[in-house]
Amino acid sequence: MANTRRSSFCGAAEHSIDRRTFLGSAMQGGAALSASSWGLNALREPALAEALKRQGKHVILLWLAGGASQLETWDPKPGQPTGGPYRAIQTAVPGIQISELMPKMATRLKHTAIIRSLNTKDGSHGSAARLMHLGRRDEPNLKYPDLGAVLARELGRAESPVPDYVSFYTATEGRGNAVGQSGFLGARYAPMSLTTDSRPAHLSRREDISALDHQQRAALRNLLSQRFIRNRKLPAVGSHQEAYGRVRGLMASETLFDLSQEPQKTRDRYGPTLFGQQVLVARRLIEAGTPFVKVSRAWWDSHGQNFETHLELVSELDHVMSTLLDDLEERGLLEDTLVLTLSEFGRTPKINGSLGRDHFGQAWSVSLSGCGIQGGSVYGKTNEDGQQVAEGEIGAGEVFATIYQALGIDHQKDYHLGSRPIPLTDPGTEHLPEVLA
Amino acid sequence: MVCWKPTTLWLLIALSPVITFGQTAELLPDDQSVTSVVDFYIQQSLQTKKLIAANPASDVTLLRRTTLDLVGRIPTGSEARTYSASTATDKRLQMVKRLMQSPGFLQHQVSELDSMLSPEKPGDLQSYLTPAITENRPWDRIFRDLILPQPNQPNQAGANRFIKSRLGDIDKLTNDTSTLFFGVNISCAKCHDHPLVEQWTQSHFFGMKSFFSRTFDNGDFLGERDYGAVEFKTTVGETKTAPLMFLSGKIIDEPSWQTPTDDDKKKIKKQLEELKKKKQPPPQPAFSRRSQLVDIALSPAEQQFFARNIVNRVWYRIFGYGLVMPLDQMHEVNPASHPQLLQWLARDMINHKYDLRRLIQGLVLSQAYARRSNWDQGPRPEPEWFAVANIKPLSRDQYGHSLKLASLNPDSFTSNEENQNSEQLKRLYAENKLAQQLDQPVHDFQVSTAEALLFSNSEQIAKELLNDGNKTLVGKLKSLETNQQVVDVACWTILSRPVEAEERSILIAYLVARQDRRGEGIEQLVWALLTSTEFRFNH
Repeated sequence: MANTRRSSFCGAAEHSIDRRTFLGSAMQGGAALSASSWGLNALREPALAEALKRQGKHVILLWLAGGASQLETWDPKPGQPTGGPYRAIQTAVPGIQISELMPKMATRLKHTAIIRSLNTKDGSHGSAARLMHLGRRDEPNLKYPDLGAVLARELGRAESPVPDYVSFYTATEGRGNAVGQSGFLGARYAPMSLTTDSRPAHLSRREDISALDHQQRAALRNLLSQRFIRNRKLPAVGSHQEAYGRVRGLMASETLFDLSQEPQKTRDRYGPTLFGQQVLVARRLIEAGTPFVKVSRAWWDSHGQNFETHLELVSELDHVMSTLLDDLEERGLLEDTLVLTLSEFGRTPKINGSLGRDHFGQAWSVSLSGCGIQGGSVYGKTNEDGQQVAEGEIGAGEVFATIYQALGIDHQKDYHLGSRPIPLTDPGTEHLPEVLA
Repeated sequence: MVCWKPTTLWLLIALSPVITFGQTAELLPDDQSVTSVVDFYIQQSLQTKKLIAANPASDVTLLRRTTLDLVGRIPTGSEARTYSASTATDKRLQMVKRLMQSPGFLQHQVSELDSMLSPEKPGDLQSYLTPAITENRPWDRIFRDLILPQPNQPNQAGANRFIKSRLGDIDKLTNDTSTLFFGVNISCAKCHDHPLVEQWTQSHFFGMKSFFSRTFDNGDFLGERDYGAVEFKTTVGETKTAPLMFLSGKIIDEPSWQTPTDDDKKKIKKQLEELKKKKQPPPQPAFSRRSQLVDIALSPAEQQFFARNIVNRVWYRIFGYGLVMPLDQMHEVNPASHPQLLQWLARDMINHKYDLRRLIQGLVLSQAYARRSNWDQGPRPEPEWFAVANIKPLSRDQYGHSLKLASLNPDSFTSNEENQNSEQLKRLYAENKLAQQLDQPVHDFQVSTAEALLFSNSEQIAKELLNDGNKTLVGKLKSLETNQQVVDVACWTILSRPVEAEERSILIAYLVARQDRRGEGIEQLVWALLTSTEFRFNH
């Protein structure tokens, strides 16, 4: 897989400018530009202007855990032996049909690009879920950051008072496959994970300390530590101060997880399900500045009774996703918010003896809506019965490259691990210009 | 698979001096002490680089650093005071000897080696390493035990975990073995010839894999077949059979073998099933490929890989930065910062039968180890010159043990703690639930917000570290009459040093502002010291 194409890729200045450098974080010590040296002049640099532009972009990932059927969602095959009982319906975009289980999304398809030609060649929950979190495979001794970690780094702000990567996965099925991974980016970019309920751990102050003492105790800690750090400016040392520096802001963000602060009308709109309520929290979070929120809905693994399972889950997805898009649009957030539906794989066109569909990575669909996306479009095509990709076959890497580009991030940009450059997507990966606005 | 950019490759090759493993010319004589050789070569490079080393660290700082590195905990308040007050000229040497003879040294060695060899499953090798470290088993013996476990030998229990825990993925077993024992990450050579190191081809990866490909799991035991080879596809699509080849390129001649017939395979399978049920080991192969790996890796002609790797890893642990970085890139185009020093230490390792204690003691007694970690003379020198002490995040165990120790009533430790309180100190090393929630630091470590939130708001921290009572530090401090005493005792106990004047006024002011709730003020002060950046790092 050696690919020489990258060697011709330019060494332009923007590759070396990341968010931290841009912000001139004090934690970087002597290695980084100092806050005063970049000043306003730096804004004339195109790479910095680009970085500025990326600020304020967000992603909400709806993770359909267990493998959602493309046939009952984005790529119906009515009339085929593989088609199942549901019809296809016309969407608001001429020429595009989706499953009748998604009537609400059908009327809102102008925001959404559907990719129907994903071939990830992996039918195992664990490894396929990893692939669809990372956009590539880990190496034996190198763990990559997942989408959320990369976006937390690319889109988050160092001094942000809100968490920059939040992950909901309250079901138990499949949770181990979808754990957040910050890989070589380090714990700074690990997700705030919510696995037991919709509120994060250790975010609220204990009752045996007053708010004032909690704050002043932290200030005392900070003061003592500053004395220590003065002549020891190293990234690891700085990260300790930075982590404690974020505690207060994160605690203040606890209200973001509190839906009682949201009008009852809005809560009703998202519906009474846990998924709906967590997506509403996701909207609250990104509105407050969180760059990446993943909300997982389990368990789509319909080896038996595929059609009953999908009737329930797709109907819920249709309702929650369309409510989210409406809500974002009304608030003027949709332009800067990318909403994704990803899964570890799709499901077999062949219907098995238990009226189920099995794992299928050869020809399945994902969707991208909102920020940077050419809405009302379809990329790629499967053949008549959906067994194979007929046109535009791509893998996970291309989906990730397209996500990064939609957010204004060069997907070929390098991170450096020691002297080794590591691009955001594997060398040779191309994004899909047709999917982008 | 992502690898190095060709442009970087040519640049590195062009700039790199050629370092050959066999180079022994001009090394200092082998009868010098490890300590003096370390300081000679480090000083030499400082002169070449025109760098001036930082001043020596204070006694209490050096005591804390050495104690953390040797026994995995901070010093007790009384150890710190005693050491600080001592006027003995050999007090540093005596301190190092005392620590290395204490049970904590064994515990900490086990913890460090376990997390090095079993990073994904903490504790997995503990049952094997505990007796091995207690008897100071040489590193080459440990390697032999792990790669070629002998189930019926005494003191080998748990040795097969290294292979067993990786047997589900032979590629990982191959690369972990190569990385952890030889300092060479060959995963790049799996899909194509290594782009950076000309000599490493796909044959090197698959050659190394061949040593393991016949190994299988049979219940409680590992087995090894007499047949089978690794085949791989080259980048041009050609299928090749991998030779049994070590990293150096040396190929091992193997007696010819035959794949059994399907009937014979069935019989063998049945026999193995029965042995598994009876909990007996499978028969040994006539020709063991794994045994060949051990033999060649430790052979005089090839053992440079093995010796240099362990020197570099122990150095990294003690100095916070390897002589070669990254630790898994010990190859000819990524030379050591101090090639002769690495060479000398590797030779010393071989000459002294892979005695890890000798190396550790030699390193912690050097001047290079004893420098200050603060630098106020302009830009901080790059870490690889060891002009200033590197700052190391505490490992999970170091942090856990130290938090626990610091939260205890300092009166429980007298000045003769090594005799009188060894039981109490030993108890520190018991399972630590708090430590298990923390991240194990790796190079380029960052502290997570989850850690900061845990310390800021969890019940566990409040209960385990800020608890009232006559056995705890908080309890002791509350019993003291003056704020001055509180601040003095708290600093000695937690930071292992006397309080500085400016700190004293800050801390006393904090308590004075809480005169109406002095107990709470003391708890908060202890919290602020325990969570301070100074406490979180070995500096």
